[in-house]
Amino acid sequence: MEATIEVTGLRKRFGQIMALDGMSFTVMPGQVTGFVGPNGAGKSTTMRVILGLDAADEGRALVSGRPYQSLRNPLSQVGALLDANALQPSRTARDHLLWLAHSQGLSAKRVDEVIEQAGLGSAARRKAGGYSLGMRQRLGIAAALLGDPPVLMLDEPFNGLDPEGIVWIRRFLRSLAAEGRAVLVSSHLMGELQDAAGHLVVVGRGRVVADTSVADLIATASSDQVTLRTTARSEAMTVLAHAGATVAATDRDTLTVSGLAAERIVALLSEKAVPFSEVAAHRATLEEAYLDLTRDAVEFRAAAGPRATGQEAAR
Amino acid sequence: MTTATGTPYRSALPPGRDRFAHLLRSEWTKFRTVRGWVITTTIAALVVALLGLLFASGSRSTCGIGPIEVACPTPPVGPDGEAVDDTFYFVHRSLTGDGDITVRLTSMTGIITYPPPDHDEIVPGLVPWAKAGVIVKDGTREGSAYAALMATARHGVRMQHNFTHDTAGRPGVVSPASPRWLRLTRSGDTLTGYESADGTRWTKVGTARLAGLPATVQVGLFVASPGDLTVKQGSLGGSIEQVRFTQATAVFDHLSLRGATSPGEWSRQGVGRTGDTDWERYHRPAGLEESGGTFTVTGSGDMAPSVDGHQIERLLTGALAGLIVVIVVAVMFVTAEYRRGLIRTTLLAGPRRGRMPVAKAVVIAAVVFVAGLAAATVTVVFGRRILVANGNHVLPMSWLTEVRVIAGTAALFAFTAVFALALGALFRRGVAAVITAMVTIVVPFILATASVLPDGAAQWLLRLTPAAGFAIQQTMPQYAHVLRHYVPAAGYYPLAPWAGLAVLGGYAALALGLAVFRVRRRDA
Amino acid sequence: MRRELHAEWTKLRTLRGTGPLLLALVTLTVAVSALAAGAVSCPPTGCDHDPVRLSLFGVQVGQAIVAVLAVPTISGEYGTGMIRTTLAAMPRRTTVLAAKAAILAGLTLVAGTIAVLASVLAGRLVLPGNGFTPAHGHLLPSLADGPTLRAAAGSVLYLALIALLSLGIATAVRDSAAAIGVVLGLLYLLPLMGLVVSDPDWQRLLWRISPMSAGLAIQATKNLATLPLTPWAGLGVLAAWAAAALLGGGLSLRLRDA
Repeated sequence: MEATIEVTGLRKRFGQIMALDGMSFTVMPGQVTGFVGPNGAGKSTTMRVILGLDAADEGRALVSGRPYQSLRNPLSQVGALLDANALQPSRTARDHLLWLAHSQGLSAKRVDEVIEQAGLGSAARRKAGGYSLGMRQRLGIAAALLGDPPVLMLDEPFNGLDPEGIVWIRRFLRSLAAEGRAVLVSSHLMGELQDAAGHLVVVGRGRVVADTSVADLIATASSDQVTLRTTARSEAMTVLAHAGATVAATDRDTLTVSGLAAERIVALLSEKAVPFSEVAAHRATLEEAYLDLTRDAVEFRAAAGPRATGQEAAR
Repeated sequence: MTTATGTPYRSALPPGRDRFAHLLRSEWTKFRTVRGWVITTTIAALVVALLGLLFASGSRSTCGIGPIEVACPTPPVGPDGEAVDDTFYFVHRSLTGDGDITVRLTSMTGIITYPPPDHDEIVPGLVPWAKAGVIVKDGTREGSAYAALMATARHGVRMQHNFTHDTAGRPGVVSPASPRWLRLTRSGDTLTGYESADGTRWTKVGTARLAGLPATVQVGLFVASPGDLTVKQGSLGGSIEQVRFTQATAVFDHLSLRGATSPGEWSRQGVGRTGDTDWERYHRPAGLEESGGTFTVTGSGDMAPSVDGHQIERLLTGALAGLIVVIVVAVMFVTAEYRRGLIRTTLLAGPRRGRMPVAKAVVIAAVVFVAGLAAATVTVVFGRRILVANGNHVLPMSWLTEVRVIAGTAALFAFTAVFALALGALFRRGVAAVITAMVTIVVPFILATASVLPDGAAQWLLRLTPAAGFAIQQTMPQYAHVLRHYVPAAGYYPLAPWAGLAVLGGYAALALGLAVFRVRRRDA
Repeated sequence: MRRELHAEWTKLRTLRGTGPLLLALVTLTVAVSALAAGAVSCPPTGCDHDPVRLSLFGVQVGQAIVAVLAVPTISGEYGTGMIRTTLAAMPRRTTVLAAKAAILAGLTLVAGTIAVLASVLAGRLVLPGNGFTPAHGHLLPSLADGPTLRAAAGSVLYLALIALLSLGIATAVRDSAAAIGVVLGLLYLLPLMGLVVSDPDWQRLLWRISPMSAGLAIQATKNLATLPLTPWAGLGVLAAWAAAALLGGGLSLRLRDA
């Protein structure tokens, strides 16, 4: 059995609000999967259902093929960081890890290992109540690593971290994935996942909006738009429109061309001797691609599946 | 879609086993690593010990003959080791070997000094347990073994032996029109009592085996009359008991003896009494008037277990203060997790949720049991020494009872902690849990022992609420044949020690069951 | 101060437990009073029971509810971290505590008045059936009677002072479970210790310093001479405790980091 997280058709209602509305996805081992969506999209609820903290009204969530509550020594199957502030402030970080270790039948030696791994070092013998948020995140990650699990789940681990901390976590997550672990990281800011996640599960309003690799998502969002700077605006428009492109004037000497690759535009303009000073293929950032996806989550909620497949087919 | 790269991760750690013991160890680590909880638990133990020792050093007994202070006499001890009151008027002679004594009792009268409501006169009358009859006793030493067959003022004919044993015979009041024939037979160490209305048809009342009864015993007539007990409300709460002198006079005739008895006059003796009340000095002393086969015997006192002295459990009154601390610690042990969301981490580590409250309960119970045991042991052992050193008489008791009181106090701590912890898991709110535990354990106990609540209500409180558990501290049994103010305030509980503890245990188990149910059902 | 009062009033009003707790305060006080009045009977030969005090017996249990009402108003904020929001919005810390105290005292006075009046009424209805009749020399609780009025009004004040005492302790202790433990320990344990010590001088001393024993002297209408303190002096002891607790709490709030 491959160690993964499988979520199928989760539904959960809190009073009037549909928190989860048919959430389904699978997390694969060996890569970092970003779990993104706006606040209130159902990310945390999904994670809590996966971890057996909340019960779903419908659907199921499996870890390594089994419901979390049936796992023996769960921390050696899944490591999770939900809320870095969930600590007894008067207990030292090491003691916090120690009771967790004891609950799994692990030794104090393992505690010292994860303290080193998470870079807590000597601070581990200080009371956790005095920790900065960054230190608490490290402690939370140390706790998640305690059982050396093949699956890791982190809820908003970048929250409140300084740039240095963000870089550290990104690198750390990548190295964990490189060891063959399945890593699921949620965030409401796509930018935080840039350079960390290889795969993305984008959610909105309780269901999956897109389940795709980062490269594909960016390619789709970039949608072969090319910016052309030229002094001969009207000639260029004629030539390119003739070749089947959609051309829009965005400025006095700038055109936005879609439907033609940049190389083809250069070739056409050179052939017709239309002067131009710059041809720039637009490559969307992850953030833009994400905003593009979630801007009208209502529409996606109605037709998320077909649109996602449609995009892939068009490629 | 990208497919997974590389091989799935395999941990190098040895696979652990899922065991409840791990959970226990984990919860223990949790407890001991919060210094505040450890300190508070220690405080709970210290409070118990300090209050107990303070109470012991504050208690002083002195006795005096006139202005001269002397060491207080040690009350006699009965054949079973308990402190006894053994005072009565004894008309006796010796009997060697088997034999019997038969007599007819035709009248019982007496006086009660200064009874309520006005406490201003001495009135004729008998207290319910005024007694007169025949007795076989191992000598005249206070506390020696005996068996007696008697008529009482209100409780009919009784067969009693060795202070604590009582068997009922025919009810009814003795009068010249309705006399009682009483016969006590000795055969080896077995004594059998018979009674009859007419001296011909006899009914057996009961038998008593007095192990080790020597061949020669004292046999004869006796009269006793316990003090008149009244209870009044104390102005600062609690109650004030008063015991007043009473005296009974019984008229016997048709006295006959069978067996090897000593010849000559009857010996007469006021066992255990000096007869120094004004009534005895100026009006009617205890004694025997004999004329033409009629024996008129007058006496006071009682043959009964004594509570004159310090009960060891009084040293442990501070347990109540300790319990409040225990409640707070036990509640915090679970609500601290809810407050910070730590509970989710706990449930992630042990997803079989029902085990969480159980593991916590086991840990907190064990911790406070040890704390309670240490505190109770220290308090009882050193408290007793201090009491004795201050001239106090400590009521003797068997080591089994002592162990029960000490371990029972520790169990009281443990069960209370489990109850409070379960309430914490149920309510998830510290205040609600602490107040519920207090209102069900501490408050009923205080209301029952230190307020104006009538005795009946106080006893029901200690039957129905978890406060019933305090019964485990009771050392003095209640005796139906001894009239006393058997109320919680005096250390007498309506339930037997283990039954009381079982009530508390039941509440704790129920609350824990509900907590398990709730933790399983609700989203964390 | 007006803004602080308004804010604290809104906070307490919108707290879920406030309404049910006030209701519990009234019903529990009246129910326990009626039960106590119903359980105690006085034989025709006379008894030492104080009928007014019996009618107000429920106050001894009602005070626990008052503590439950008062403690979370501050310790709840420490528990959730809302205290930081509160102090950011209203930086005059002493004023915040004063506002909390005023709102709590006001609420307790209102609910306490209802509870005490209903208890007196229940006593009037129940006690004559148990031998407390004017024929036997017992005056029925009546507010027209000076000592009864003092006992009733004093009981309401007693409850309000318990609220202030609890608030003060909770502000100093911060943790809700620990605070409620301290409050109830202070209230219920001292009287019990008074019964344990055998020395009468110690007994009277413990009685005098115990906020509950001394405070409840305000309910006494019989045998006043045997009490170690007069009724108002007794209530004064509780007031001193409450003042000391509020002072300690206020200092802790001002001096310690939130």
